[in-house]
Parts: sequence; C-alpha cells; structure tokens
Amino acid sequence: MDALSYLVVFAIILLPLCSFITRVLKKRSLQLSITLLLLSAILVMFISLGMSGAKGTIFNVISISPFSIFFGIVFTAGFLLINIMASEFSDKYENFSLLASFALVGMYLVAASNSLITIFLGIEFTTLPSIFIILLSKRSIEAAAKLFIMAAIAIAVLSFAIVLSYGATNTFSLPQHSTSYFLLFAGILFIASLGFEASIFPFNVLMPDVYSGSPAFITGMLGGLNKKMGFAAFIQVMILLLISYHELFYVVAILSILTMFYGNLVAIMQKNVKRMLAYSSISQSGYILIGIAAFGSGGIAAALFQIFAHTFLFIGLLGIVAWMESKGRTTIDNYIGLNSENRFAAFSMSLFMLSLVGLPFTTGFVGKFLLFLSAVNGNLILLAIFGIVNSIISVYYYVRVIIAAYTKRYDTRPLRMSRQLSVILISCIAITIILGVYPSPLIYFAKSAGAYILAL
Amino acid sequence: MIALVLLLPLFIALITMALINDKRAGIIRYIPFFASMASLLLIPFISSGESSLSWFSIAGHTFSITTIDSPLNALLLLIVFSMASIIFVYSFGFMDALSEQKRFYMEMTAFEIAMAGFAMSGNFIMLFISWEFLSLTSYLLIGFWHSRESASRAARKTVTIIMIGDIALISAMVIFYTIFGSLNFITILTSISSVPALYHGSFLIGVFLLIVAIFTKSAQFPFQEWLPDAMEGPTPVSAFLHSTTMVKAGVFATLALLPLFMDTGYSNILLYFGIFTAAIATLNASRELHVKRVIAYSTIQELSLMIVAISSGAILAGIYFFIIQSFYKALLFFSSGVMMKATDDEDLNKITGLRENKLLYFSTLFGALSLAGFFPFAGFFSSISITSTFSLSENFIIYLILSLISIGTSFYIFRWLLLASKDPTDSKVKVKYKTAPRSMIFTTALLAVLSLASSAIFFIMRRILPSITLSRSYLVGTLPLGISTGEGVLETALILIGLGISLQLYSKTKRSQPMVIYDWIVHSTLLFNKLYEYIAAFVYYLAEGIAIFDLYLSDLFDYLGHLSYSLAERLRYLAVGDTNLYVLIFSIGILFTTGCIYIIVIK
Repeated sequence: MDALSYLVVFAIILLPLCSFITRVLKKRSLQLSITLLLLSAILVMFISLGMSGAKGTIFNVISISPFSIFFGIVFTAGFLLINIMASEFSDKYENFSLLASFALVGMYLVAASNSLITIFLGIEFTTLPSIFIILLSKRSIEAAAKLFIMAAIAIAVLSFAIVLSYGATNTFSLPQHSTSYFLLFAGILFIASLGFEASIFPFNVLMPDVYSGSPAFITGMLGGLNKKMGFAAFIQVMILLLISYHELFYVVAILSILTMFYGNLVAIMQKNVKRMLAYSSISQSGYILIGIAAFGSGGIAAALFQIFAHTFLFIGLLGIVAWMESKGRTTIDNYIGLNSENRFAAFSMSLFMLSLVGLPFTTGFVGKFLLFLSAVNGNLILLAIFGIVNSIISVYYYVRVIIAAYTKRYDTRPLRMSRQLSVILISCIAITIILGVYPSPLIYFAKSAGAYILAL
Repeated sequence: MIALVLLLPLFIALITMALINDKRAGIIRYIPFFASMASLLLIPFISSGESSLSWFSIAGHTFSITTIDSPLNALLLLIVFSMASIIFVYSFGFMDALSEQKRFYMEMTAFEIAMAGFAMSGNFIMLFISWEFLSLTSYLLIGFWHSRESASRAARKTVTIIMIGDIALISAMVIFYTIFGSLNFITILTSISSVPALYHGSFLIGVFLLIVAIFTKSAQFPFQEWLPDAMEGPTPVSAFLHSTTMVKAGVFATLALLPLFMDTGYSNILLYFGIFTAAIATLNASRELHVKRVIAYSTIQELSLMIVAISSGAILAGIYFFIIQSFYKALLFFSSGVMMKATDDEDLNKITGLRENKLLYFSTLFGALSLAGFFPFAGFFSSISITSTFSLSENFIIYLILSLISIGTSFYIFRWLLLASKDPTDSKVKVKYKTAPRSMIFTTALLAVLSLASSAIFFIMRRILPSITLSRSYLVGTLPLGISTGEGVLETALILIGLGISLQLYSKTKRSQPMVIYDWIVHSTLLFNKLYEYIAAFVYYLAEGIAIFDLYLSDLFDYLGHLSYSLAERLRYLAVGDTNLYVLIFSIGILFTTGCIYIIVIK
C-alpha cells in the first residue's frame, strides 16, 4: 500500500478529532474552516487514489479499492456541501459538525469494509450520531425517537443476520460463498436490515416521517449520504448473496418495483415539498435497485452512477428547500412565483428536478439510461418497463413544483440568496451538467468499482 | 481536438457576456467582435487532419466527436469568422437599444459557435450537434422581437419546417450507422462502394433522408418558405443567416458528402429540384414588395444554383459562388437595414431616398451589380461558370431556364434598387440617411469593396481552389473554372435585358406599381406555402388527441394518487401507534421477503 492511502486514513481520523478540539474551544469559524479544509484534502486524495487505481488493505479491515474510493468521493463531496449548508442554516453548527464528522467516519468504514463486522460497526457509527443530529432541533424529537427505535430493531436484525452467516461460512470476512440455507436465512435478514438503511420499501415506511420531521439540511444529509451508505452496505452484501444464490435477483427486482411505485405514488399527493422529495428519494432507491437486480450486465456500475447523480441532485434540491424553509415557505403553494423572486433558484430547482426525471445531458439521464440499459441487457425487460413507467409518473409531481415556481405572481420582491447557498447550487449544477454531457470518466470509474465488487 | 480550440474565444465571450451586468451593456457589444477576430486569427494555427474525442460509449458502441481540418473546412471557417466580425461591427449601429444588447449578442455568438462547429465537423455526431444548435439559435434569433406576433409566428414556422430536416438527419444517421458501423465522414465516403446488397435499399433511403435534411436547411423546394418569413429577425441576423450561417450549412453538407449523392444517382434530384426552386424563387422575388424578402428570395435562388452547380459536377464553380455570395448578400441586407431604419418602413413602395447617402447608394449599387452578374463583379464570373457547365445542345432546357433566371435576377434586383431610390417626400428621411450610424455605412462600403475584389481574386482562385479540394479525393478531376468571351457577352446581354425591363417599368417617371404579367404563376407556387399550415394542423390535431388521452391519464393518476394518499394518510395519522405500525410493517416485510425467497429459491 502506498503512503497516500495511509494519509487518507490519517486525515479521516483527524477530522472528528479536530472538530472535537475546536468544539471544546468554542471556535466556530475555525471549526468550519478546518473541517472544510480537511474534507477538501480528503477529496483530492481520494480522486488521486482513484486515478492511480490503488487496491489493497490497511490494518486488515480497511480495503482501499475502486469501490470504496468511489463511495469515498461521493461521501466527501456530499458532506462538504452539507457542511456549507449547515453553517448557513443551522444555529448549532458546532454540534452538527462534530456529530456529522463521526457519522462520516462510519460511512467511510462501511464503504471500505472487507468484513461484516466492519459494516456493522460502520452502520452503528453512522446511525447514532445521525439520531443526535436530528435531535439538535427541538421540534424533531419525535422523528429522532422513531428513527432510534427503528434503527435499533434494524441493527438487531443485522447482528442476527451476521451470526447466521457466520454459522454458514465460518468467517466474518466479505468474500464468502456458501450454499447452506443458513446463508439464505441470513440473506432475508440482511435485506431487511440493510434495506432499512437504504430506504427500500417495506422496510423504510418511517423514512418520510424522519425526512420531513428534521430540518432540510439534515434531510439532505440523511437522503444524500446516509442512504448511500446503506446502499454501499447493501450492494456489498447482496452481491455475495447473489453469487451464492443467483435467483435472489428476483427478490431484488420485486422490491425494486414495490419501492418505485410506493415512492412515486405517495409523492403525487404530497403538498409539502420536503416530504415530496423524501418520497421521491425512496423511488430513486427503487431505480438503484434495478441496477442491483441486473448485476450481471453492468447493473452495478449503473447503480453506482445513479447513486452519484442522486447525491448531488438531492443535496442541491434540499439546499433550495432549506433556503425556502428559512423563509417559512414549505408547501408547493408557497413556491408560486419563485422565478420572479429569484431566477437562479427557480432555474436550478427545475434543472435538478428535471434531471431526476431524466433530462438528457444531465447525470440523472445518464444514470437512468444505464440502469434501464442494464436491465434490458440482463433480460429484465419488465423491470425496465416498470422503471420507465415510474419515470413518467414522477414527471407529474416534479413538474407541479416547476410550474408553481414559474407561475407569475405580481406582488413579489427579489429574494436574496446567500453566497454559501449559491456555491452549493453552482457546484451541484456543474456536476450535473458536466458529467451529464461528458459522463465517460465517471462511467469508467463506476465500471471499475462494479467490476471490483463483482470479482470479490 | 485542435480544431475545437477555435471555438474557445467564442465560448469565453459567451460566458463573459453572461456574467456582465445588464446595466453595463455598453461594453458587451465589443466582446463578440473581438472574440470572432481572435478565432479568425487562430485559423492558420490549426493543424490539418482528423482528430476525435470519444464522447460516450454504450454497449460497445463508441460515439465520438470528430473534427476535420481540410482546407475546405478552413475556408468555411474563414468566411464565418470574417463575416461575423463585419456583422458585429454593423450591429454596433443597428442595435442601439441598450436593453436588448445582451440577449442579442449572446444569441448571435451562440449562432456563430454553432456554425463554426458545423464547419469543422468530421462525423455525423458533430454535424448533428451543431445542426441542432443552428436550429435552436436561429429560432431564438428570428423570434428576437418576441413581443411582435409576426416574429414569434415566423420563428415557430422556421423551427417546425427545420425540425423535419432534423428528424430526417437523425434517421439517416441511424441508417448509416447500421450499414457502415461508423458515423465518420471519411469512413462512410470510402466504403460507399462496398455497401452490402442487403442494405442497398436502406442506404438509398438514408441518402434520400439526408437530401431532405439539406433541403430544409438550405430552403429548397418544397421547404423554401421559411426563409422569407425569417426576415422577421433583426437585420444583422438576416445578413448572418443568409450570407454564411444556417442556409449555407445545407450547401456545405452537400459539398462534404458529395459522393453519397453522386454514387447513388441522387445528384439528379438535387439538380432538378435546384433548378425548379431557383425558378420559383426568381418569380417570387420579382413580385415581392417587402425590402428584405426580395433579398431572401434571391438567397433561395442562389442556394439552388450552388446546389445545381455542385450536383452537376461544376464543383469549383459551386465553391466559388459559395464564397463570393457571402459578401454581396450581407451587403444588400446591410443596406436594407439602413433603409428600414431611415424610413421606418419595410414596404418597397414606401421606402425612398437611397440616393441621399452617396456612399451607401454606390455600395448598394455594387452589391446589386454583383448579384445581377455584371462584368467586373464577382457574380459575373460565378454565374458564367455555372451556366457554362450545361452545353446548349445537350441540356437545352436547363440552359434556357438558367438564362431566363439571369434575366429575372437582373430584373428584380434593379427593380428593388430603383424602387428604393425614389426621391423622398419627407425631409426627415434625408436627414436620417445622412446621419445613419457610421458603423453601418462603413461596413456596407467595406463589403462593396470586397465584392468587387472577390472578382479580382477569381483568377487567383482558379489556381488555389484545386488545392483546396486536394484533400478530398472525390473533388479532384472535376470541371475547371473557365469562361469564354462568347458566354460573357451573352450573359451581359441577358442582364441588360433584365435591366431594361425594370427601367421600363420602374424608372423615375413611372411611379405606379404596374401589373406584373406572371402574377398568377407566382400565385400558384405560393400554394406550397401551405405545407407549413398542413403540418401545423396535423400537429394540432395530434395534440388534441393526446390531450383527450391525457385527461384519462390524469384521472388515472389522480385515482392512483388518492389510493396511495389514503394509505399514506393512515400511516401518518396513527399518532400513538405509528412506531408500532412501522415495526409491524418491517416484520411483514421480513415475512414477505421470506415468502418470496421460499417460492423463488427453495422451490
């Protein structure tokens, strides 16, 4: 292993440490700058690691691979944006930053795990700080309590699943193949518990409650990062199960269809924009599952691409929602006339939403295209059709918000947007459009990550 | 990717303009001019040859953006950038309202980028991208004065007709990709002879669709009617669109992909449609009274003649015409713009006083003489070299039609000039002509010099042009440029006939608009104008049908939404027991998964 990988691990450990020290010293701006600096450094290191194609293991538990680097980039970049957003919208940024950096370490741990124990640890490490983050806002106690109960159940189920799989294979490490029925039973419980983390129907029904119950920037973190952490775990475990029991992909396909329909249909009737986005993010989980079901035909790469795309689209959207929320505007009716108040906000919101639908030359289109293509190539044509039908349904509720934003209202005054938010939106737009027009590098990266995870 | 570097200054200009505040619009107008100059200066530095950048690859098919830098492409780029610079200078005077400048210059720059991208395209993907951007930007520019209903109507008409060509082009691309496994021009052109017999029928369909695409872009029959309507745009736009961009794209595509038409025998389609369009356009121009529409019809006619020349083998004559037409066509639009600004009118009967500004008058006269094909002007040489392709004995009818077109051309352009140079009745008009912005007058004069000078370089061009075509082997060995004295005398005689007729009908003493004998012929050709209306009606009824379907669909969505909404509502309002319910659903989920696995895997 080269020095850079050790340096990344060192920087990641440094992150919560610095955050803790600056928190104790009560130096807010120092905390913010150090966190952003460290995150940028980690991002750069991850990208250069990804370019050099590093592979290896550190301390026998952390694996540096295209897969973990891919997720590392998603988490770091996403967390960077969330941090800027939190410094703008949260009055308890100090606590948020500290807790969130712990959660981030957990996410890295899940992405870079090579054993079930690390996955378990990582999920715990992420979930607990996330619950406390939600608790930071007095109004979200109910959401936090619900999440706590459900997360406890999920983690119990997960530990039982790990025990069962140990019984089947006599190892905790990830490359494990067995035809024992124990592994199959473990598989059920893995799907349930990791499905909860990745918000897959029917294990996720409380997610919209949590998403809409917490402040918007925290929702951005939960939907943008925590859910992706769930997928990082889900993909790693599912691939192993799928290789042992190939027929399991039917189960994934059924769950995918259920998740897509659940998310999209319930989203139609939502009046609160944040809640609508929560449901839409559930339906996005369904699309990502298409790729996992079609894992043999480039589906994993497609799913990874979509995970990347959705992270930044969701964070960008939640940035606008948080901004509107700070003005006391939450429902779709409140968005009427947004264009005449702030053109940039209306434009970027429309772009993100249309990209989620699948507007060509944006990452959302490329992701969906790859997903449906992989489904078709893997002879899951029905799944692809369901995906397309759901895309059409989703137009209905996204466009409603866009129409509201571009409806003329005459009593409007210009609404200023802070610089931090503009930075977030511009970076999300840049990612969406640049990688939408020229997706080759990201597709290549996703493919190598998918190939790595399939070869385990 | 060396060729794409040429677009860099323009892209930078576009971004800079976007960032500049509306209030400081004064400096915006200089940006595109300097960017165009920079691009122009960069042309000599691009290396020749093909270069490509892989764009994306799906399921083993790689799609890439390829640029090609043959001298032919460099020639078009040279015309585009130089004309763009001149037109931007003209716009300084023309676009005097500050409020609209930002939008105007940004759209014009985008238009220029699209055309430059077209000029350097080396495969169908690059071609298609720039083709679509041309459509889009032309739509924006023609409908620039969007508050005018006629402008937005014209823009819609343009984009509707051009979309036919877009669809045809992409269909042709699909066919070619299936047959050749590549979209690269050189690969396709070199493997025409080896098309498998199985694909021969679809290959012919592909070439035919390509012709449709070219016809829509270059406004050939039956798609010609959008071009006169496109006059609703600002005058610099018309000048740019008619002299270098957009309509020339179709001609250039014909030139670049010539073997496709030659080897399939479809060049005859090009030839006969071209002759027919030229005839119609000449007739239309002779009865038109809108100052810019006359010039627009003459553009249609010239494009037809270019296509005629190229498709009948007189490629060098076609290229020469392609070059020189830019100068005098932009010139005539420039002077129309000055006239319209001075008299606030667009009707030739009401426009007066062109002679008040001597510089403008003589520049316009030079343009008209060049268009008609008078001796020392460039039009003379190009017109003769095209006509002389057809021998009197073999292609008597075509020769006859071309001769009649020569008479007609000379007739309508002098009619246009004579009507515009009546003495003004209003003294304000005189002042307005005298005080016309300098940037407008001087660019017009510059173009007048260029249209005279371009004839002088005809003789140089005779030597240079073959080397331009060298890199494209299929262009070598075509008919050389040449003229004989007899043809020259004949041509001059024809022009003088046209001039005589228009002097007879429209000279100073005869003010009234005389009945034109062939008015009814022209009227019958206008029937094809209906094509657009038929398309519009078809689309309208299609939309009606979809709307009915949509109603049912929205009912269905509403129903499904309500269904799931009631479910979601229940989940939400079970306030005390909701967490219990979540746990219940979680457990049901586990049971469900178990059931699935039992059925699928174990059984």
